[in-house]
Amino acid sequence: MDRRKFLKQSSLASSLFFVPSFVRAFEEVASSKLGYKRLVIIQLSGGNDGLNTVVPYRNDLYYKARPNLGLSQNEIIKLNDNVGLNINLAPLKRLYDKGYVSIINNVGYPNPIRSHFRSMDIWQTASDSNQYSQSGWIGRYLDNYGKQSHSAIEIDDSLSLAMKGESMNAIATKDAKTMYNLSKGPYLKNINKHLADEHLSEHNLGYLYKSMIAAESSAKYIYETTRTVVSKKEYPNTKFGKQMKTTAQFINSHLDTKVFYTSLDGFDTHVNQKGAQKKLLQTYAESVEAFVEDLKANNTFKDTLILTFSEFGRRVNQNASVGTDHGTANNVFIIGENLKTQGLYNNMPNLGDLDDNGDLKFEIDFRAIYATVLDKWLEVDDKKVLNKSFSQLNFI
Amino acid sequence: MKEKHIQHLYRRIGFGILPSTLQKVATKSKKHNVNDLIKASKTYTILEVDISEIKDVFGGMMMSGTKIDNETRRKLQKISRKKQVELNVSWINRLASTSELLREKMTLFWANHFVCKDNSIVYIQNFNNTLRTHALGNFRDFVNAISKEAAMTKYLNTKQNRKQKPNENFARELMELFTLGEGHYTEDDIKESARAFTGYSHNLKGEFVFKKRQHDYTDKTFFGNTGNFTGEDIIDIILKERQCAKYICTKVYRYFVNDQVDDGHVNAMTDVFYKDYNIEKLMQFVLMSDWFYDDKNIGTKIKSPIEFLVGLKQTVPVTFKNKKQVIQIQRLLGQTLLDPPNVAGWKGGRNWIDSNTIVLRLKLPSLLLNNAYISNVKEGKQDAIMTQKKEQFKKKYGKRFNTQTNWNHFEKHFKNVALQDMDPHILAQPVTKDAKAYLQSLAKLSKHEYCIQLMSLPEYQMC
Repeated sequence: MDRRKFLKQSSLASSLFFVPSFVRAFEEVASSKLGYKRLVIIQLSGGNDGLNTVVPYRNDLYYKARPNLGLSQNEIIKLNDNVGLNINLAPLKRLYDKGYVSIINNVGYPNPIRSHFRSMDIWQTASDSNQYSQSGWIGRYLDNYGKQSHSAIEIDDSLSLAMKGESMNAIATKDAKTMYNLSKGPYLKNINKHLADEHLSEHNLGYLYKSMIAAESSAKYIYETTRTVVSKKEYPNTKFGKQMKTTAQFINSHLDTKVFYTSLDGFDTHVNQKGAQKKLLQTYAESVEAFVEDLKANNTFKDTLILTFSEFGRRVNQNASVGTDHGTANNVFIIGENLKTQGLYNNMPNLGDLDDNGDLKFEIDFRAIYATVLDKWLEVDDKKVLNKSFSQLNFI
Repeated sequence: MKEKHIQHLYRRIGFGILPSTLQKVATKSKKHNVNDLIKASKTYTILEVDISEIKDVFGGMMMSGTKIDNETRRKLQKISRKKQVELNVSWINRLASTSELLREKMTLFWANHFVCKDNSIVYIQNFNNTLRTHALGNFRDFVNAISKEAAMTKYLNTKQNRKQKPNENFARELMELFTLGEGHYTEDDIKESARAFTGYSHNLKGEFVFKKRQHDYTDKTFFGNTGNFTGEDIIDIILKERQCAKYICTKVYRYFVNDQVDDGHVNAMTDVFYKDYNIEKLMQFVLMSDWFYDDKNIGTKIKSPIEFLVGLKQTVPVTFKNKKQVIQIQRLLGQTLLDPPNVAGWKGGRNWIDSNTIVLRLKLPSLLLNNAYISNVKEGKQDAIMTQKKEQFKKKYGKRFNTQTNWNHFEKHFKNVALQDMDPHILAQPVTKDAKAYLQSLAKLSKHEYCIQLMSLPEYQMC
């Protein structure tokens, strides 16, 4: 058995048993030498209006459906002769011009659900719309391929279902120091020290002791690894801006974490949508640009892929309150350095062919995007995580 | 009845038992105690927050036949959100103080069986009380009541289930999650039974409405039977399957007895339950059986976040100055009442525990009850800076954990318990050897401080 193989196997063992920290230190040396690809997921909660994000500004049907809400030519930045971005996405346009952005249109799933929690649930668990799953897609990635719970981190106080697996959950933290302080303390440390092997046997109490040790070890590892890296980059002073900044700090400290999860809330724009959405898109785009620049300066952007999604798009027709109601298919943004398909990945939605509700018909199953990311980026068996096979796309 | 067994009984059908209460019931037989518990839950007490404001608007609109305008809707939604917080807090308080203990614990159990969620406080409060009303009743009536709840017809789209365009969501989950379990029906059974539930709807107040014109009156073929079935007929046919009784008994066993199912015990339960689907009789059978009190079933389950929180409250009453913090803590622990992840509910068992929640659970007793302080002064020494440390914490984190504790209550109920005899009153499992050795090396400052030490052990997570 060669050394690398030995270390790999011992890393597998470390999720099952408590491995002394010096062994873990070796294991990190080994893994950092391999190409270390990370995924950052950005969830736009509430259902972002895709049509006013990526705008078909030459389409009469668009303006007909949205007499007050449609964005005029001076409210967009043109991407080509037909398509423009919401003017507040200027920072994203700069990334787009560098070839860092792929926009996938008409992403959804069969038999769409227009309820926030249910549709978000479907996106997070990657289930069919008539199935309910108790584990999320990143959670199942952890079950199968995660070394420890900090293999995936949600930059928040509590975990989304997306990050919960059958047997393993990710870590949720906004602040490594707070988490570390919570996990230590002389009392707990001593309980820990008095631990005997009998606790680690397979009964529930043993499981608790094991979890306690793993938690302390993860909290310590995250805190000690990340505390020396302080981002000098300026981010928007918003909750989301802070999340992205923390994510950048974690990545630039070469934390052994494959997936980061962040979210920006407030996209449920039933009333007076224009201003509200513009503000949110600005926060999004400015934060993402700062984030990309931050990573580039630290040479970590090349190994990072950013996936932005929302649980659904919105109705094509504006409503009576100059807002939009819950819809179906939407656009997904992929941001990274070496994208295979840069720019617009596919055609804009066909506004002349809507479903019975007046909503867009989906063209690409969101799980095809997940499958592509799992297989081509994280290099794992997508079928194991998604429990199903999807034909992959060509953006990476 | 052995003290150990009474404590086990109360930990499973409630949230633990105080030493003072234990003293009172310890002289009684098992039969006596179980019967007392069941008797105390013969009644039910509706849980409600004041929603007259919303009801008045609804009532007025129903009288005049007007539709709800956007502004009113937004206003109602805002009130509704606030009231949901209130209902959540009332529910937690109810759990910690109820005399209808078995009924309330069963209600909590059913809330993770008939899983539902709704933005409307009116509908979700009704739903919650339907769980409570039927918690120990007849399962057939229960399923029928659930199928007609406004919140459920919304949540699983029975409302959109029409003759011309059936929606199978409710029919599917009725069988997969509520009655039979996966693999005990076909896709055709779902399609056919969905047609039987067409026309189920509700009015603004949340009362069940059967829309005859949307109901499909043609024949359906379900589980080999053909006829012009209604939703009620479908439920009758499902309940004829012994699998339905077995599925429910398995869930009850997992929740009240052990994560690891014993086929023999579940079979015996199924024999009892299948006869008439009487939930109270089933629970009586479980609690009277010898195996319920087997050592391998005592202290071996991991508390749910709600069991943890309510148990804590029962030992040392604690109230939050800011109600939203009660919700926040549930969210951090991974179980917010009235806000389940989806219709499949919480997974439970070991799934409650991860790197985040275990750390929080070990720290929460000291954070909520003792200004974050866990004494670790060595035996023979005084803790001179304890008061100082507590003050410091109050200044620093007082806002985040703004609680009021009633330690007098604890002192009163633990009056007759010596410090060295406290362990079995706080913990469902003996302290592991090494943790015990550590505890013994520490100074015994007071029952109060020792209680916090015990509550800060992984052992405290067991019930």
